[in-house]
Amino acid sequence: MLGYYLRLAWLSLKRTPAITLLMIGAIALGIGATTTTLTVYHRMSTNPIAQRNDVLRAVTLDNWSADRPWDTDHPDNAPAELTYRDALAIAQGAPASRLVVMRKTSLTAEPGAGRPPFLVVVRLATHDFFPMFDVPFAYGAGWDGKADRDGEPVAVLSKETNGKLFGGENSVGKIVRLDGREYRVIGVLADWQPTPKFYDLNNGEYDTPEDLFLPFALGATLELQPAGNVNCWKPETLAGLRDLFGSECIWHQLWAELRTPAEVERFQSYIDGYVAEQKKLGRFPRRINNRLYTVDEWLARHEVVGRDSRVLLVVSFAFLAVCVLNVVGLLLSRFLGAAGATAIRRALGASRGEIFRQHLVEVGLVGALAGIGGLALGAVGLTALQQLYSSYDRLTQLDLSMTLAAIALAVLAGLLAGLYPAWRICRVQPAGYLKTQ
Amino acid sequence: MEIRPILSALLRNRTGALLVGLQVAITLAVIANAFFIIASRLEKIRRPTGIDTPNLIFAESEGYAPDYEHAATLSSDLALLKGIAGVVAVTSTNSVPLSGGGSANNYHATPDPKAAPIAGNYFEVNADFIDAYGLTLVAGRAFRAEEFTPVPANNDLPPVLILTETMAKTAFGAEPALGKRLYDENGKSGEVIGIVSDMQGSWLGNTRPGPQDLVFHPNGGFGKTWRYVIRVRPGERDRLLPQIEKALNGSGHGRAIIWVRPHEYWLTRTFRADRRMVVFLSTLVILMTAVTALGIIGLATFQVNARRKQIGTRRALGARRADIVRYFQLENGLLGAGGVVIGALLAYAASGWLTNAFQMPPLPPLYVLASALALLALGQLAVLWPARRAGAIDPAVATRTV
Amino acid sequence: MLDMQHIIKVYRTDLVETHALRDFSVTVAEGEFVAVTGPSGSGKTTFLNIAGLLETPDGGRYQLDGDDVGTLGDDARAGIRNQRIGFIFQGFNLIPDLDVFDNVDVPLRYRGFVTRDRRARIERSLELVGLAARMRHLPSQLSGGQQQRVAIARAIAGDPRFLLADEPTGNLDSLMARQIMDLLAEINRQGTTIVLVTHDPELARRAHRNIHVMDGQVTDLKPYAARGAAPDAAVA
Ligand SMILES: Nc1ncnc2c1ncn2[C@@H]1O[C@H](COP(=O)(O)OP(=O)(O)OP(=O)(O)O)[C@@H](O)[C@H]1O
Ligand SMILES: [Mg+2]
Repeated sequence: MLGYYLRLAWLSLKRTPAITLLMIGAIALGIGATTTTLTVYHRMSTNPIAQRNDVLRAVTLDNWSADRPWDTDHPDNAPAELTYRDALAIAQGAPASRLVVMRKTSLTAEPGAGRPPFLVVVRLATHDFFPMFDVPFAYGAGWDGKADRDGEPVAVLSKETNGKLFGGENSVGKIVRLDGREYRVIGVLADWQPTPKFYDLNNGEYDTPEDLFLPFALGATLELQPAGNVNCWKPETLAGLRDLFGSECIWHQLWAELRTPAEVERFQSYIDGYVAEQKKLGRFPRRINNRLYTVDEWLARHEVVGRDSRVLLVVSFAFLAVCVLNVVGLLLSRFLGAAGATAIRRALGASRGEIFRQHLVEVGLVGALAGIGGLALGAVGLTALQQLYSSYDRLTQLDLSMTLAAIALAVLAGLLAGLYPAWRICRVQPAGYLKTQ
Repeated sequence: MEIRPILSALLRNRTGALLVGLQVAITLAVIANAFFIIASRLEKIRRPTGIDTPNLIFAESEGYAPDYEHAATLSSDLALLKGIAGVVAVTSTNSVPLSGGGSANNYHATPDPKAAPIAGNYFEVNADFIDAYGLTLVAGRAFRAEEFTPVPANNDLPPVLILTETMAKTAFGAEPALGKRLYDENGKSGEVIGIVSDMQGSWLGNTRPGPQDLVFHPNGGFGKTWRYVIRVRPGERDRLLPQIEKALNGSGHGRAIIWVRPHEYWLTRTFRADRRMVVFLSTLVILMTAVTALGIIGLATFQVNARRKQIGTRRALGARRADIVRYFQLENGLLGAGGVVIGALLAYAASGWLTNAFQMPPLPPLYVLASALALLALGQLAVLWPARRAGAIDPAVATRTV
Repeated sequence: MLDMQHIIKVYRTDLVETHALRDFSVTVAEGEFVAVTGPSGSGKTTFLNIAGLLETPDGGRYQLDGDDVGTLGDDARAGIRNQRIGFIFQGFNLIPDLDVFDNVDVPLRYRGFVTRDRRARIERSLELVGLAARMRHLPSQLSGGQQQRVAIARAIAGDPRFLLADEPTGNLDSLMARQIMDLLAEINRQGTTIVLVTHDPELARRAHRNIHVMDGQVTDLKPYAARGAAPDAAVA
């Protein structure tokens, strides 16, 4: 019977090609717009390390001012970053499977051979950074705990930096000059673009990861300037970087890998105990409010998805709704316009179900064609958006899951648009229509 | 023409009418709010920067060599830049206006650190900054050359400060700011010696500090990273930019010139999201109105087809073409009016959501009114074609059709 | 056998109630050819619609082959229409988008016959009405009489036991009307029970029996001298 229904649907669509194109076009436009915004939205909000979501925890301690919360809009949130001394103390004493303390700096790389020096953004991190965040290596590997303790001058390069400095070849063992000092390359990353950059959302959440990675200890021994945010609340006289290390200013990120609920609990009670100790020393003027966040929770807390994308998402769904209403109207008029033929079928013995299915096949055909058109339009929309996003082009690539979502959306929209008209038409009473003829 | 029979005909085709009415309503709700968002973004993009943006070049220098000398490099760079023909004025600075990155401080109008803090966006500049940015001195005096400290010993407030007009009002209200002192959280203070015209600070759309709440400190920074503002003669920017880059790069000092860029580079970057929103929303608005117009055409076409015999009979009984056309126009007008009323309610509901979720200002009625009128006009335009086709129906169909 | 007893049908609109059938009783025996006559608006089409299970009665009892069918559900009624009843409508009621072959095919599709069986039936019934050569014509490419013959072919293709025809000759000239009547008589001879609504007394006379409807009731029974089966119709 499906073949028969398909033939009837085709005949019916062929009869009024303009209206058919209009219907397909309307749904396709709606789907195209929705797919485009959905892709950007999905890219923005997607968890780039979902596979480790449950074991990774961002660590926050509330060491902000007694007078006002860190975030007046969300007074329960502790600051997103830590002071140097707290980050270091917890990194050394806390019970965790793995733990990374880190911050950002920038240095000048000298490629030599007459080429001009250029700026590299550097992540100073302890060695667990690489295994904790599943960082892929093209050559070599990260450093170990000994390099962290001794502050060895070793470096891991991003793929791009390795390209700029060494033409992309295996540079493990080579020397890179940064701010007049020499570092030995021990690893080169493969392509790694976690979007958003979940491990440090304080600035540039859609930026690419840093250009170069150095052992955390070097930041203190070489007195490397901070390149990320530095936030301070306490009246303190700061004469240079030395004072910043001892200050209450926050500028470090801390992540722990906790594999079991018991581990999470142990870690939580450790940091709570730590803060309680510090309170005795006159620090941490606020109530104890130390929180651990999974990556999902962390992204949500930082409201990574921009307001604009959310507005656009709503607008494109409204657009889709208008398109669906439009198509419902057109289908209804078309089905009811051919009610005479349906009445004859009913009189000749077609059951309601058969009429319903016949029209649903027609709707499905429209939906399928619209879905294909919608995907094409979505691809066009994303290409156009690429111009508007430029540096964030990773946000605008149609991926498999979005393609599937678009198809699902097309089918859903088609069904939504078609169910009511199909239902209406299968209620047609044969007698009424035949008599009027 | 009578409205009652049209209404009852509409009621008979309730679903079709409802669908088109709803389309009009949703479209109105979206486009009224979209127009409002677009207008406010355009206003933001076009807002004057307060500085001589078209003729400003910024450069960043970062010292890396072990023997790098910040103070010496700074004064040598300033001299070098001033010496280039076509350069009007130069200042060093810590941040680029409207770049989204900068420094802020909590000031106090009294020495008491418990007093309500006054947030200020501070720019560390040297004595020539008023000329270099292209500001005007409104009251008091500019910094003197000897008041500039290339490398301050600590983060205490400098003894003299200059404020923008807006900052003067934020800090001291109606009282004259000149001669008053601003305190930092350590109780150190500086005297307000000058007021300059407003300019946009580091962050757009900030609330604390506000976008024009600026305080100028006559300092170089302690870091090795520093920036220059170079104002050139009108029209010379693109010619001078590579020349400036070359001169800085060739001057040694054990530092790298990280970038040399026109100020417009940051404007483009800062407003990219707003431009994107404008483009995206306009596209959706156009598509949506187009789809709605097509929906109106579609419904009217079906109505005309379904009533061919009736229309023919009317024509046979003496109705003129214009009467038939007017019938459909009136029908569409009624439909549109209904849709627009519901749409206005929806528009305010949507605006309420935007206000709640994103602290957007409420939707001014003018936008709803204008969008409603535009949609009604569009509806009339859309229905014209099927209505004219209805008018052209031959009176003979009345007798010929079975 | 088609048996209606005390059938009531009332149409309600906002303003008026029309008693289209009131206490309407009639029995049509197997193999009969019955003509239904009566003035316009008397309830003939209503009777035929109820007989053909297109509408449900508001009262009374309707049995088809001994089964009570007046109260069946929609799907069951569709099934009976499909298998036991052939309909020839007052208008021709062909589906304009489908060609002659496909129009005749419609009830067979819902009947679930296999392709070969359907094709054989369509060809046979079109042959019977003399249109085998026009299988791929669209209805709009046929004359009125040809269209009506297609409608007849469609009605008989599934070998229905009852053929209900509502003024099948209403739109045709008298010669064409006689040809259609010849065709119906031939179909009846092959065993199909026929109920024919007509205004034309000439045509009505060719039936075995004549039922006259007036104001929603059977008023008169005028058996014509029959050529075939002996009528044993009952009147309420
Ligand atoms: N759907 C309906 N709603 C209201 N009244 C109806 C409806 N259908 C038929 N009627 C009324 O029922 C009565 C019988 O109608 P019916 O169609 O059975 O007449 P008929 O005998 O077939 O007439 P004709 O010879 O003109 O075709 C008429 O008075 C008609 O107005
Ligand atoms: Mg009739």
